[in-house]
Amino acid sequence: MKIVVAVKRVADPNVKVRALADSSGVDLANVKMTMNPFDEIAVEEAVRLKEAGRADEVVVVSIGSEKSAETLRTALAMGADRGILIRTEAVVEPLAVAKLLKAVAEAERPDIIITGKQAIDDDANQTGQMLSALLGWGQGTFASKLVVGDKAIEVTREIDGGLQTVSLQLPALVTADLRLNEPRYASLPNIMKAKKKPIDERTPADYGASIEPRLIVVRVHEPANRKAGIKVGSVGELVERLHREAGVL
Amino acid sequence: MIHADDGILSQEQRLMRDSCRSFVDDVVTPFIRSNWQREWDMSPGERLPGSILEGAEAIGVRTLGVPEEFGGIDLERETEVRTFALIAEEIARGDSGLADKLVQNWKVSIVIRQFAASHLQEKWFPRLLKDPKFLLAHCLTEPRGASDRWLPYNVPEASMHTKAVLDGDHWVINGRKQFISNGFDASLYVVYANTDPSVGMLQGTSSFLVPRETRGLTVTKCNETMGCRFMNNGELVFEDCRIPADHLLVKSTALASAGQYFRAGKIIQAAKNLGVGVACFERTADYVQNYVQGGRILIKHQAVALRLADMATRIEAVRSLVERASKAVDEAHPDADILCNMAKVYASEEIMKVATHALELHGGNGAMLEFGIEKLFRDAAIFLHMDATVDVSRMKIIKTMFPATAGKYAGPEN
Repeated sequence: MKIVVAVKRVADPNVKVRALADSSGVDLANVKMTMNPFDEIAVEEAVRLKEAGRADEVVVVSIGSEKSAETLRTALAMGADRGILIRTEAVVEPLAVAKLLKAVAEAERPDIIITGKQAIDDDANQTGQMLSALLGWGQGTFASKLVVGDKAIEVTREIDGGLQTVSLQLPALVTADLRLNEPRYASLPNIMKAKKKPIDERTPADYGASIEPRLIVVRVHEPANRKAGIKVGSVGELVERLHREAGVL
Repeated sequence: MIHADDGILSQEQRLMRDSCRSFVDDVVTPFIRSNWQREWDMSPGERLPGSILEGAEAIGVRTLGVPEEFGGIDLERETEVRTFALIAEEIARGDSGLADKLVQNWKVSIVIRQFAASHLQEKWFPRLLKDPKFLLAHCLTEPRGASDRWLPYNVPEASMHTKAVLDGDHWVINGRKQFISNGFDASLYVVYANTDPSVGMLQGTSSFLVPRETRGLTVTKCNETMGCRFMNNGELVFEDCRIPADHLLVKSTALASAGQYFRAGKIIQAAKNLGVGVACFERTADYVQNYVQGGRILIKHQAVALRLADMATRIEAVRSLVERASKAVDEAHPDADILCNMAKVYASEEIMKVATHALELHGGNGAMLEFGIEKLFRDAAIFLHMDATVDVSRMKIIKTMFPATAGKYAGPEN
């Protein structure tokens, strides 16, 4: 069984990012970058399936600049077997990502594709669903548990009302939610070993997919600063203000 | 902090640093912050919970220096010391005692891989890799003197008191070692002893591999220290301790041969120190941007901002020297000995100033144990005395720069 995992390089979630002065986007110059945390969970799940003998090969794919090779290298250090870097400097929207991944899937013919449920930079939460539709595969999104059989997988999904379990025929697509697993750290020996694992470099043109943007970012701005708190004189005033100003009572 | 060094590091070095940083941020720092009392547990073996060492094991930082053929890590040898420095800094940023515990394994592994017979490497390296609690120690210092008597006192009367004598196919060691990092809980020791009382230390000292369970070796105490308390510093006594003849590592010139250990050791020492400085800065920068005094956050008070700038500048100056010195050591440059001692002594004094500012800027909170700043202060202070005092380090710099004069026996001039 082969598993393809898509990983994205994003700003480190612990870093406080700022909007660019011209409001055209987020200032990523000199910002620490890392693998999208949900993608880390996706890689971890694939590697665990391989360690459990359920999968033979784990292939990781990333789309982005040459620096995305570092993100692939982290995935290889976590235990993936090889990487594919689709190099582009352009902003690639979810639909274009899905089209590229569809082309990768057609070339690689995996049994399962796992992605993070969303990337923490734009929080689009679209790629997995679009990819599944383009491929005509079943999808198990927001996965918190995965049970792999020979011809089908059972995916436990985190939904508003609780948990839902769906059974999908293979090949299938899964998007990883937070509670699917706790990803490992890339260990130092494995980081050195990952150096020898292959990363195949491609371009979007190799896959014949258009990555022309279809969306226009109108404005990116920072959330309003939180206002300073106030001291109230009495419980009565507190209740009154909660009712009248905060609108919560 | 500033990370302008990113460009000169290899991709693997950056990934390794980031992995260690995540481990420290997720596991080590939260543990240290919420368990400040653990340092003062008077059962040394209980202080650091096994889970922290197991976490260190999971990211593979306990066994750097072990060759790949024995299941160790294949670091690029041309930049190995620089990598050691990066990792040591990151771990020490979480806790310098933990870093101490781990780096001792790297340093002693270098000695073993270089000097131990292959059958001993085959025996011990796999054991080291298998057991997360397996630690190594390097036994040099004695109650009656340490590196202060090296040079310019290379004369028989200044030799080590611990002696080893060959008796048939065994060496018999007698003596006492003190202030030994990991000495209290190591499983395997590299021990230095005098094997020729007729010459000076540099010609008459040999090194041996001594397993902890060897009859005649007794771990007598854990030295309680002011800082780095999660590393258990120990004292050992050797009484007719018999070890097989093949456990001899280096005959006669053990001190001169261990340069690779000593040079890497000074760099690692400076790098751990740097990690403590970075922790001081990060904690302080956060504090002064949140704590309000006189209606303004502290950082808007100029006296505070100036001190913070001073801390950052000192840290970056130390970092520059550590980088330069580690490069010299990696490249076996003739000035490596001088530079690594400079880095070590400079780091210890500058980071002490950084820690002092951290304490000042935290006001009363700086003195409170549960706030964790006084711990950083203690951890910084101990570096002034660890792995040679600052004065001895300075002596080493000068005797290496001027071997014909400062490096000669301090007897009457000819």
